Amino acid sequence: MTMTETTLTVNGQTRTLDVEPRRLLADVIRQEFDIAGVHIGCAHGACGCCTVHIDGTPRLSCLTFAVQCDGRDIKTVESLGGFDATHVLQLAFKSEHGLQCGYCTPGFLMTLVPYVEENVARGTLPSDEDIREAMSGNICRCTGYHGIVAAVRKAIGDQIGGGQ
Amino acid sequence: MRPSAFDYHKASTLDQALALLAEFGDDGRPLAGGQSLVPMMNLRLARPRHLVDINALPLDAIEIRGDALHIGALVRHERYFTDPLIAEHFPAFLEAVHWIGHPTIRRHGTMGGSVSHADPTAELPSVCVLHDALIVAASASGERRIPATEFFLNAYVTALEPGEMVTAVEFPLPSGPTSGAFMELGERVGDFAIAGIGVVLGHDGNTITSARIVCSGARLVPVRSADVEAFLVGRTLADPGAQEAGRIFSAAIDPVGDHAASAAYRKGLIKELTRRCIAHAAGKASA
Repeated sequence: MTMTETTLTVNGQTRTLDVEPRRLLADVIRQEFDIAGVHIGCAHGACGCCTVHIDGTPRLSCLTFAVQCDGRDIKTVESLGGFDATHVLQLAFKSEHGLQCGYCTPGFLMTLVPYVEENVARGTLPSDEDIREAMSGNICRCTGYHGIVAAVRKAIGDQIGGGQ
Repeated sequence: MRPSAFDYHKASTLDQALALLAEFGDDGRPLAGGQSLVPMMNLRLARPRHLVDINALPLDAIEIRGDALHIGALVRHERYFTDPLIAEHFPAFLEAVHWIGHPTIRRHGTMGGSVSHADPTAELPSVCVLHDALIVAASASGERRIPATEFFLNAYVTALEPGEMVTAVEFPLPSGPTSGAFMELGERVGDFAIAGIGVVLGHDGNTITSARIVCSGARLVPVRSADVEAFLVGRTLADPGAQEAGRIFSAAIDPVGDHAASAAYRKGLIKELTRRCIAHAAGKASA
């Protein structure tokens, strides 16, 4: 089997690795970069836990081979607000009870941060239905989703000045 | 390791991709968005020994060519939401896109990938059959066009030969005013459909002049119904007979029963979804 030389930048750290093509981006980030915020729930695209940003766009890292990401810029949940979790959406998850066990949380955050940013840029507060559509690729077994919807609403509302 | 081992090849031209696929035959698969193939590989339901990454190929056009809308194999699903040609000519297609997976999947999944994967519950194979689309398949020895109604042979089985890949799908443009709708039911938004119905109604004023209807998720391939289509032609948008059409379609299909729903439940669902879908399409046209 051929190893393929692949250069990845994860949260600003650039490394060139010889990787087996079959290794998933999620596994390489966890094992080679030692970044544990990428969670693997289902490994077939149903749960959204492994969502990362590739060149700024959310993508499931369990459905992506590391070799496909040669030269790409990858961001994980650690890039948002660090270990203090100070990103506006992380703070809203905390205050609105958007998490309990936390396993799905990195995926929700990475899916929803661009969505929050787009709505803030447009100055629009989306409907709950729209928020639920935006997070429909992520599964949470603890919260029943209400707290997550409230957190998204708060993160957008606080930034566009309308409150909720 | 989740998938079994394979070699990775990045193609920079279509000819190069086709040469590699010809060389690998049954052992090779093209890799585009990876939203269907990679889950199959992670579950080891698919074990290709060679993946040919085609993401760099220029196969992402949505444009009118002759009397058809050409959609390149690498067009990502989310583009349909904002494409004016889809909105203008294919309203049922546009409605179907809302039911494809979820936003992250729609951002990466492709037309070529969805039709090649041929999931019985998937929306795009159903949309292709609904619109009498042609699947353009290319190989090192040339190109052929396969009618969608002959392309889907079984669950996850298509008419593609080893070494062939889908490069585009061609949707014949409607010849007159049309309306259309697509509805499905799944356990949650983005889940596999228990059943889905798509309908296209051509009309002249208030009179329905042509009709096409398809059902996904009930059989192993999308199903059309000549009886329902014949029943609808000549009726009016104000009174299309949606309920009776639902009865006819439901009676004509012998649906599968599985973990998600029994065959009897699916039969009832087809009847009701057909009624709602026709009523919705007719309502939009007469509004």
